[in-house]
Amino acid sequence: MSDKPSSDEKRNHPPCYEIRLRGHLDCQWTDWFEGLTVTLEEDGTTLLSGPVADQAALHGLLKKVRDLGLPLLSVCPHQSSQAAEPDVNA
Amino acid sequence: MSEPLLLTKLYVPLPRPKIVLRPRLIGRLNEGVHCKLTLISAPAGFGKTTLVSEWIASYGRPVAWLSLDERDNDPTRFITYLVKALQTIQAGIGEGLLVVLQSPQPLQIETILTTLLNEISNIPENFLLVLDDYHSIDSQPVDQSLAFLIEHQPPQMHLLIATREDPGLPLARMRARGQCIELRATDLRFSPAEAAEFLNRVMGLNLSAEDIAALETRTEGWVAGLQLAAISMQGHKDAAGFIQSFTGSHRFVMDYLLEEVLHQQSESIQTFLLQTSILDRMCGPLCDAILLDSSVSGQSTLEYLERINLFIIPLDNERRWYRYHHLFRDLLLNRLLNAYSGQVEELHRQASCWFASQNFPEEAIAHALAARDYDRAAVFVEQAAQQLDMKNCLVAITRWIEAIPDQVVEAHPWLCIYRAWGYQWMGRRDSVELWLNAAEASLPFALTLGKSDNERDHLLGHMAAIRAHAAITGENIPRALEEGQKALSLLPERDEMRCETAVAIGGAYWSLGRVIDSEQAFASARAAALTCNHLTMAVPSTCYVGMQQVKQGRLATAHQTYQEALHLAVGPDGWETPVAGFPNIKLGDLYREWNELERAEKLLLRGVQQCILLGQSDVLVDGYLCLTRFQMAVGNLDGANENLRQADLVVAKTKVDPFLQTRLEDCRLRLWAREDDYYSITRWMETSGLSVESPFSYYYDLHHVNLARALVSLGANTRSQALLNQAVSLLDRLHDAADRAGWVHEKIQILILRTLAEKALGREDATPGVLLQALALAEPGGYVRIFVDEGEAMRLLIEKQSHNRDHPLRGYAHKLLAAFTQPGAGPKSATPALHQVQRGASVIHYKSDIIEPLSNRELEVLKLLRSDLSGPEIALQLSVSINTFRTHTKNIFIKLGVNDRRAAIRRAEERNII
Repeated sequence: MSDKPSSDEKRNHPPCYEIRLRGHLDCQWTDWFEGLTVTLEEDGTTLLSGPVADQAALHGLLKKVRDLGLPLLSVCPHQSSQAAEPDVNA
Repeated sequence: MSEPLLLTKLYVPLPRPKIVLRPRLIGRLNEGVHCKLTLISAPAGFGKTTLVSEWIASYGRPVAWLSLDERDNDPTRFITYLVKALQTIQAGIGEGLLVVLQSPQPLQIETILTTLLNEISNIPENFLLVLDDYHSIDSQPVDQSLAFLIEHQPPQMHLLIATREDPGLPLARMRARGQCIELRATDLRFSPAEAAEFLNRVMGLNLSAEDIAALETRTEGWVAGLQLAAISMQGHKDAAGFIQSFTGSHRFVMDYLLEEVLHQQSESIQTFLLQTSILDRMCGPLCDAILLDSSVSGQSTLEYLERINLFIIPLDNERRWYRYHHLFRDLLLNRLLNAYSGQVEELHRQASCWFASQNFPEEAIAHALAARDYDRAAVFVEQAAQQLDMKNCLVAITRWIEAIPDQVVEAHPWLCIYRAWGYQWMGRRDSVELWLNAAEASLPFALTLGKSDNERDHLLGHMAAIRAHAAITGENIPRALEEGQKALSLLPERDEMRCETAVAIGGAYWSLGRVIDSEQAFASARAAALTCNHLTMAVPSTCYVGMQQVKQGRLATAHQTYQEALHLAVGPDGWETPVAGFPNIKLGDLYREWNELERAEKLLLRGVQQCILLGQSDVLVDGYLCLTRFQMAVGNLDGANENLRQADLVVAKTKVDPFLQTRLEDCRLRLWAREDDYYSITRWMETSGLSVESPFSYYYDLHHVNLARALVSLGANTRSQALLNQAVSLLDRLHDAADRAGWVHEKIQILILRTLAEKALGREDATPGVLLQALALAEPGGYVRIFVDEGEAMRLLIEKQSHNRDHPLRGYAHKLLAAFTQPGAGPKSATPALHQVQRGASVIHYKSDIIEPLSNRELEVLKLLRSDLSGPEIALQLSVSINTFRTHTKNIFIKLGVNDRRAAIRRAEERNII
């Protein structure tokens, strides 16, 4: 994770993150996680992905993961064209 | 309190009737009490609270419990509830602090905590303090407060923190020092044996070892998961089939199980669960109010949910208040938002109405905001502000208003006014006029809604009063008077704002050098405060009256006035409230002037302690400056410097009244002169921005007197005729200015400086009348230190006067000469006692003229002190260390106001304590 604002952020495109959790979450959690895309992977993990406004928003998301008692596997910044078009996969 | 106390936050949860006993963990918790902290850090649903409640049921010592929530990120609220939790095991502890915590002024948190720690150390037995849900805290000030508490934790206290994430404390250091034990997820997780006991014995299932192992693996021993699984299976005919499909699924355990559980409940229970999930806490009538379904009884549904163990937690012993397990509530809430998002605002609206009808303003407002029903929120804030003690709750009210969109606030003139008043108090002065204008703009509309002319005058009166205060801070005195008079003509008879207005007017007359008008204005402020029975306002108003009397040289009258203020500051229980700090420092300063240094010291130390707690920076700075002058009088220059530094620290943080800035400079110049630090005086002159040509200012309390003092000091030291001549001509003009204002006190000071300047010029015989004039003005008030503080030069001058046998002031001159010859006549204890003040270390309560009550332990020690036993022998008899014994005796001596064993016994016998 980088603390420095990426060049995307400077251009008002919030950076994308991938948050991987153990277990499968329903798509009904999409709103709970601020509109991140919920992808259920075959290995039994859930991938939350999408734009996250800033570091404070990221910590807020992690707090929600914590409050559900969901085992957190990884958090990665994700460089892709999604940054400019966050709604494509939503 | 700015709001009714939520007692449910302090409720010690009872252990459930049927639980898995966990002797391994209980054993570790029992061991843990030998260190400072037990940390239970594990994710949601690991049974933290259940474990702690099981443990403390057999712990056998007092337990103070505090369940934290997000609002406790405000350190004031956090400490308030901390004190309230401690009061559940020790009545009255920290009561004085609760008063202080309401103050709208910035808090000195460390001081408050130190005081609290001192009071904790008087709790006679070992106890446990539990902070549950500490993960709700996301605030550095609160983390720091807690770290400070732990750092200085008295030995009888043990702290237990339960949290979902490690707290912001120096844990690594505490681990290294063996100061904490921890229970974490791996410890709390159900072992296969515990899972078996839970599922089969507690939940009454009859599962095979294989099934149990499968469930244990699927949930990884997660207690909440196992519990929800067990509840699902209780209603399932085919437990084996359930286990097979559950363990075969990757789905999030709770999602999967919640669906199972909900499906087993009737439709009305499902609706109940979902709809009540918007509530932080709930009771039967509240549930009825938001469900609007007469076929369902809230109370019996809550009891049913408790019976089937459905993640519902009682918050009291009466089966009144409940909450859901936080994790369970989040799951329900998510479902509600997905399935019935259209209903959510309506549910919040109903909850808001119910809380308002039960007089829980904070929750009523919070739910109205969640419902986005801002008009309702606005009405509730307005009602709350009228019910609550406005000034004590100004900060809370301002925050509520800030949560409402501006365009809604702008339609409610009272909200605009409260907001403006809040900002004036908080020193956000740019925003004051903005919101007063908004209030004005909203008036025509508000008045079409049937508000009467009286209401209109009331609103306009408040606006004028706030403008008067803002004008004073903006140094626009004519405007302050104009707005103040306008306010008085508009405000109703019994309105607190009349007092605030009169204070502003008094300040305005002060700034105009009209001492009689100023005294009268402050007296009418006091009268207005008494009419509203508002003592916390009556006390400072009365002190201001006294300060104007001092300016007129009427020290005896001022003494009476300050006594009266002190009397007002004593609560109905006979204890001095912190607002007594103001009259105490003023009385102390009078005694210092009269050279009654022992009395002065006692009152100043007590007053400054109270001022620290009061948290009002102006009064606190005044207190430190009075102590500075006192320390100089007793010849303790280090102590004087230290107090001056403390005053500087406060001034650096906030803006204080202009007259105090002037007094601060006066003290500084006096100290430099005492230390022969002429370099600093020269630098001060260069940077003060004052010149002999610049216009005098009553607003700054004639701060040119400071310039005159600097000129006289430097001129006398360097024998510079030029400087001294400048001083003389400046002092002449200052004398006229003080004379016009009726400021006798300043006149005496000016004449004294003038005499010193003439002496340095070698012209003392040319103007003997100047000193005589000073003596004549000072004699009725009994001034002493104003002469004595000027040192040897002044002594020689007065001595010369005293040779004149026929002079009417000869007796007074002799009295002064006697005072010169006992420099540093003050008590020797000054320094250590002062040290305590600065650390806020001693006890804050003072019984008016009666000594601080002794604890039972101290009484025991006192009785043994009366015997012939030596210190070590007494310690042995009490089974305490010699250091503990010494601490007790020290505390006893402080409380009795004595310095040794014999005096302590004598005082105690006099007071019938033993």
